[in-house]
Amino acid sequence: MTFVARTWNRLTIPGRVLLGLLLLGGLLTVGLALLIIFSEPILELLGANLPLVRFVAAATAVLLMTIPTAFLIIYMEMKIIALMNLRVGPDRVGPFGSLLSVVHGLKVLMKEDFTPTGADASVFTLAPVVTYLASVMTLLVIPFAPGLFGQDMNIALLYFFAISGLGVVGLLMGGWSSFNKYSLLGGLRSAAQVISYEVPLVLSVVGLLILAGTMSLNQLVLNQAGWFTDWYIWQQPLGFLIFFIAATAEANRTPFDLTEADSEIVAGFATEYSGMRFGFFFFAEYVNVFIVSALTVTLFFGGWNAPFPFPDIGLALDPGSLGIALLILVAVVPLVGILILALPFYLLRSSMPFWQALIIGFVLFNVVAVAAVLGWAFVSLEWVAGLLWFMLKTYSFVFIFVWMRGTLPRVRIDQLMGFAWKWLLPASLLNLFVTAAAVIVVRELRG
Amino acid sequence: MTATSRRPPADDPRVTLDEELGVFEPIPPYPPRTEREAEFYSLGDGEMFINMGPQHPSTHGVLRVVMKLDGEKVVDLDPVLGYLHRGVEKLCENADYHQTISQVDPLEYVSSLFNEWAPVMAYEQLLDIEVPRRAEYIRVLSGELNRISSHALFMGWMALDLGGLTPILWSFIERDEIVEMLAALTGQRMLFNYFRIGGVNGDLNHDFMSRLGDWMTRATQQIESNLTLLNENEIFVRRMRGLGTIDSETALRMCWTGPNLRATGLPFDVRRAHPYSVYPELDFDIPTRAEGDCLARYLLRLDEIKQSLRIIDQCLDRMPDGPIMAKLPRLLRPRPGRAYAAVEGPRGQYAAYAISDGTDQPFRLRIHDPSFIHLQSVGLLVPGHLIADTIAVMASLDPIMGGVDK
Repeated sequence: MTFVARTWNRLTIPGRVLLGLLLLGGLLTVGLALLIIFSEPILELLGANLPLVRFVAAATAVLLMTIPTAFLIIYMEMKIIALMNLRVGPDRVGPFGSLLSVVHGLKVLMKEDFTPTGADASVFTLAPVVTYLASVMTLLVIPFAPGLFGQDMNIALLYFFAISGLGVVGLLMGGWSSFNKYSLLGGLRSAAQVISYEVPLVLSVVGLLILAGTMSLNQLVLNQAGWFTDWYIWQQPLGFLIFFIAATAEANRTPFDLTEADSEIVAGFATEYSGMRFGFFFFAEYVNVFIVSALTVTLFFGGWNAPFPFPDIGLALDPGSLGIALLILVAVVPLVGILILALPFYLLRSSMPFWQALIIGFVLFNVVAVAAVLGWAFVSLEWVAGLLWFMLKTYSFVFIFVWMRGTLPRVRIDQLMGFAWKWLLPASLLNLFVTAAAVIVVRELRG
Repeated sequence: MTATSRRPPADDPRVTLDEELGVFEPIPPYPPRTEREAEFYSLGDGEMFINMGPQHPSTHGVLRVVMKLDGEKVVDLDPVLGYLHRGVEKLCENADYHQTISQVDPLEYVSSLFNEWAPVMAYEQLLDIEVPRRAEYIRVLSGELNRISSHALFMGWMALDLGGLTPILWSFIERDEIVEMLAALTGQRMLFNYFRIGGVNGDLNHDFMSRLGDWMTRATQQIESNLTLLNENEIFVRRMRGLGTIDSETALRMCWTGPNLRATGLPFDVRRAHPYSVYPELDFDIPTRAEGDCLARYLLRLDEIKQSLRIIDQCLDRMPDGPIMAKLPRLLRPRPGRAYAAVEGPRGQYAAYAISDGTDQPFRLRIHDPSFIHLQSVGLLVPGHLIADTIAVMASLDPIMGGVDK
């Protein structure tokens, strides 16, 4: 053991990294070899349980997806609110400070994971997991693009509301088990708020369900194909408004962020949390923002449909048919491209050395190449185009949430409850009745 | 008097849980010292204590408020002061007259010029000094600038305490411009140490005048456009309207002054009621509002900003030439006696009561601070409202803990 330790200590940092990479490579190779050797029984086993495999793969993918999503939204929020406040915002880590949220993630990982005296340790530990899992599991039914969804359930919407309602259990657990009165108040507030707003939230989409005749989110998106006038927002404007307001409250966002009202109850349910447990709550909040935006887009804004029937260009590129020319192309195009992009900088800026111009050319060429590949994928692969439209719409809604956070003060708890029960609930019932009546009338007229 | 143990005995059923867990409830003093304390610290059915502060995001410094809650509703509350006590009045007794000016500077640290103004005026009364008119105009000019910066900060804090993130930073733009120009005049951004007995420390300079002229051209419009985000916000107005209402008689009985009193409809302003400096020569209105709620207190400060801008305009217009300091002996030994002087600070009547015993140090300097007076009414305004309203009411009274604790 001492031999290993001594050798390791003598290595420089690049040496340690290299050694680590080598070991990792070796392990991967061995693993891959084992996988190939025992491929047949494994494949057989997987083939026999295909739905389960698909579910596990989708759940893993969705779980992994939440992390960069949360990072991106946290960064967006920091930067956009900074611009609204006329501040600079994050600008140190990474280009335009874009890695700051990653650094925040690392920070919460490295902080002490503290359990206060008197806290119910097991519930205290479990609470962030419940909240995070609830928000991740709702992501499973969202159709991101044609053929790109976790599960296509025929009760997807019901599943969504059921699971997203579980998130509040985590908040309540955290608030109760922290042994802190601020946490308790935050937990109780969140319970009251989420349960109240669940009612108008669900009722507001019932009108839409009457129109669509399905609860499968995938089918709902397919129903809205074509021009943007086919989106449900035009048939259900009131429903959309109620849904959006109630969803803001469900996601605990400003102006309904009473559960973590920092000027009143410090940090609400998260007051006693630190380290990665707090990180889970924090992540769950931002994943919730994404989910709520995604569901709004799916229900009312056509999901992954383009706002107009996109002309089917379909570049049938078959690189194999080029033969030896492909090889020459791969060898020559980067060099020529870099040179072409570098030369203007070198020629126009006399103060710039050639190697700097080359670096700029290299970066520009990469940008161009990535853009070209993405453009090709966009026109020829349906799911890439769908994903792009979906993300574009979703992040527009994320922007609106951030915008509201930057602009609005917080409502009071009695105003919050009064708004849900006195305004949103009657309005959603009205929406439901009007929609139902209209559907019947139209059906009678058409015979 | 023997020191009584603050820890309850171990067999007290209230503390068994705490003993088991190894944590001690810090709130109930045991045994209670007064009847009021005994009543406050006995919990009714379903009530609980919550200890807000001294480290809390929105208690404006280090105020600690022990609240008795019934769910979210505040049944009773008890502000606990003293976390920022620095013994300024005592320090002043051991400093000579000039040195006290820098001692009282950090009391209400967002409006330091008024902290200096009242003691300086009291000393001038003791010494029978005539202050040059130019110095008086400079005092009024810088004081009104400081009032605007203080009110701008108040509006941002008000919004922040109601959960709005942006207005605080927008109003800090205004405040920053003002403190920068005051820094050009006085040499400091926050604790100016500018007023002197018999005048001011430095004359108007080019840097200050150019900054001021630059700012005055757009001040009114800029302040108003910044505040439309709040004033026309339905959530903000609904949360503030009808909250923490007080009528003028109760306000007078609680010794309120300043914008908080004027928001109840009484046009009491020290600048007009007990005129000092050159205010009688200046033309300005005393804005009042009848409602007496948080929104009125908020909007009244906006009106005051406009009046302050008017005063600054007139000061610049009428600024006389002449010396900025009166002729003074090197060593100040006022006659034995007492003097009282009050100024209209951004928070209300800020007064100083100085007693001289004929030496070069004040025998006693008593500072009357409006923040302290207003903070004592929190117990009157808040009970029956919610936790969130406690924050809003406290913010609308605009207490500065540096002045409360002295």
